[in-house]
Amino acid sequence: MANKTIALEIKRQSSPDAPAVWEKFELPWRPGMNVISAMMEIAANPVTADGQPTTPITYDSNCLEEICGSCAMRINGKARMACSALIDNLEQPIRIEPLSKFPLVRDLQVDRSVLFENLKRVKAWVPIDGTYDLGSGPRIFPQVQEVNYPLSNCISCTCCMEVCPQFNEDTGFVGAATIAQVKLFNNNPTGKVFKEERLRALAGDGGVQECGYAQNCVEACPKQIPLTNAISDVSRDVLIQKAKDFLRG
Amino acid sequence: MATAQHPSTPSVRTGVQPLRAGQGTSFLWRKLHSLLGIIPIGAFLIEHLLSNYEALKGPAAYGAQVRFLNSLPLVRVLEWVFIFLPILYHGLYGLYIWMRGKSNLVYYPWAGNWMYTAQRYTGLIAILYIGQHVLRQRFMGISLPENPGAAFAKVQHELANPWMLAVYIIAMIAICWHFAYGIWLFAAKWGITPGAAARKRFGYVCAALGFALAVMGLVSIWAFVGPKYKNTPDIVPLAAVAVTASPVLSAPPAAVISAAV
Ligand code: HEM
Ligand code: SF4
Ligand code: SF4
Ligand code: FES
Repeated sequence: MANKTIALEIKRQSSPDAPAVWEKFELPWRPGMNVISAMMEIAANPVTADGQPTTPITYDSNCLEEICGSCAMRINGKARMACSALIDNLEQPIRIEPLSKFPLVRDLQVDRSVLFENLKRVKAWVPIDGTYDLGSGPRIFPQVQEVNYPLSNCISCTCCMEVCPQFNEDTGFVGAATIAQVKLFNNNPTGKVFKEERLRALAGDGGVQECGYAQNCVEACPKQIPLTNAISDVSRDVLIQKAKDFLRG
Repeated sequence: MATAQHPSTPSVRTGVQPLRAGQGTSFLWRKLHSLLGIIPIGAFLIEHLLSNYEALKGPAAYGAQVRFLNSLPLVRVLEWVFIFLPILYHGLYGLYIWMRGKSNLVYYPWAGNWMYTAQRYTGLIAILYIGQHVLRQRFMGISLPENPGAAFAKVQHELANPWMLAVYIIAMIAICWHFAYGIWLFAAKWGITPGAAARKRFGYVCAALGFALAVMGLVSIWAFVGPKYKNTPDIVPLAAVAVTASPVLSAPPAAVISAAV
């Protein structure tokens, strides 16, 4: 027991243009280890399994409790949050790779700003900025809160986009997270003011129509957000909006 | 001191590009593809399988059904506008959709992902099958609009080839699968079944419909290859059917057929 070790294989790339190499690591097992804590140990002693000194691994992480959304990576082939990926639940050697659909920065760090950009393009916010106190907002009924709360759990990890067959450079698909946020902000009594704009935005190229309903997003979402329900609802709203726009000329 | 980059500067330069908010026409083309799968293509598929089911009543009844369909007003216009062109569009745009998807079934072998992939392969089978089927049965050989009585034998000769029979059976199952899951997809993507429970229930409805259509289709195939109507003459006189309704003139069709031979 005392000598138990764990084996990791990590795909490394020192810069966006550098060739990718796999490095193997062997670490002493500890109770409750997760993928991030394992990489912290590597950082403390950056030596590969065959004794070669190397550099600490670059990756994004922050909260270590699956709430900041920064540590998404592919672990044994599947996109998930590294901080909640417990070593004891994973088949070894644990193969760790960066997300494949986002520009690589270094090692396991990728640039996921496309999600932020998409959220801006659908105005995924409640407009309350002003030069004076706007007072309290309208009441939100508990029934609406029940629908909205799960949607508000999105941590912008981009797992749903990574696993989506339609999210790629050819389609430029917006991805499930942004569609779910459109539903969230359209449901908000103050956020509603942008409802029509959001729906029109989502009918643009790369919009909600690109979804092929493979349902990978909802399987992969670490926050169990009902993404396919949201896609269905928002698709209908977009369609109705387009029909209204057409008839109103 | 100025920061290196203003926070609102678009930062996405490589990789998947952001939403082109409100721009382009792909929404319209994609929704058209989706709609055409149901109406008219799906509706035609049901009509076609119901018509083929007439084959169980024999060569004369089958010929009469072909004659009835060809007697519809503006039938050649209907045929192009509601059958050929929609299938061509749905098929070609379907291939285009397929090319732009990036399958990841090996990493994520989940049920929905399987169905997503199956929808593409069954669509491919459909377009290949329909291409040869329309060419060989509608535009080559004896012209059925002019000789509806020749319909049964024409199909029977085709299915006499065991390879052709296999093609028809595979295509029948694939197309019914594609249509059944297509209805389910349509309901999900047009917001008709936004709830997970509704989608599950509707899934059973679609599966039952797809199964029923496939069985109907396969039974009709059996009518052509089974022992009952073996060696049907090339052209069956259809007057025999028109008279079955009238007791006075109900001469036994078999006699008419043998007279025709
Ligand atoms: C008998 C002929 C056909 C029927 C009845 C049919 C019906 C349907 C229906 C109802 C849908 C669902 C629409 C939707 O996704 O919203 C669909 C989807 C689809 N069809 Fe067909 N189809 C036929 C032929 C074809 C052909 C020849 C292809 C070409 C490969 C094709 C490719 C596709 C694809 C790729 C989808 C999925 C679209 C998506 O995921 O967004 N289909 N079809
Ligand atoms: S349902 Fe499938 S195609 Fe649609 S967003 Fe989710 S993963 Fe992508
Ligand atoms: S919807 Fe789920 S998977 Fe997608 S970004 Fe939000 S939390 Fe992550
Ligand atoms: S570190 Fe915050 S979600 Fe993993």
